[in-house]
Amino acid sequence: MTDEKSRGFLRDNALSLAFGAVFLATLVGQALSGVADYNAQQVADGLEPVSLAQYVTSSSFGVDVMENWQSEYLQFFLYIFATVWLVQKGSSESKKPGEEGTESDKEQRIERFADDDSPAWARTGGFRTAVFSRSLGLLMGGLFLLTWTASAVAGWAAYNGEQLGQLEDPVSFLGYLGAADFWNRSFQNWQSEMLAVGSMAVFSVYLRQRGSPESKPVGVAHAETGQTG
Amino acid sequence: MRGVRAVFWLYLAVILIGITYCIALGLMGR
Repeated sequence: MTDEKSRGFLRDNALSLAFGAVFLATLVGQALSGVADYNAQQVADGLEPVSLAQYVTSSSFGVDVMENWQSEYLQFFLYIFATVWLVQKGSSESKKPGEEGTESDKEQRIERFADDDSPAWARTGGFRTAVFSRSLGLLMGGLFLLTWTASAVAGWAAYNGEQLGQLEDPVSFLGYLGAADFWNRSFQNWQSEMLAVGSMAVFSVYLRQRGSPESKPVGVAHAETGQTG
Repeated sequence: MRGVRAVFWLYLAVILIGITYCIALGLMGR
């Protein structure tokens, strides 16, 4: 499985580009429905409605975006690490029972076991191979920390905006980190990600989607683990 | 693989810009 023939930019990147496009469309949907919801609340509170431009440059919009991003990156970060060490017998999402752990250098094709076309950092050994061996998890974990921080900073500003609108005292940033609003937003998103991941792991044991690499091939036995097709 | 690499960096750039933008909105207290 080395260099497959290119079939043009759009077809080669169809999955990423399609999701990128739908991401932008749904972000616009969030902005449009978000400003309507926000203004309904403003009117109910006896405050002035805001324009779409004002809304998308508000911390209220920012926190709504970031609280969802952070939970997605937490989900991927945990899934990437958990699947190294934990298996689900029969799942297309899992390694086979007995294969738990980081596996041998030979199985991972690193250092002296590297192929001719292996990435340079898989071959060199030492610090670079150690980093590259964890790069996917590190990026997902790093993005989780960044997006969670962003949701805290934007959430803090949005929360204080609401407090002032209701003639109540603003809170400090540390005060917001201990506020129910911050943890409610976080847990609300985390719980759904954990359920979705667990569902996918166990549903893929007994159910199939023909042609999807997220599923086992239709005719593969339920007991067979880690087969994709 | 050049086009694929471009999509990789595009994704990373969009994510980091989004995070920076939202942190800026919060810090500006808007």
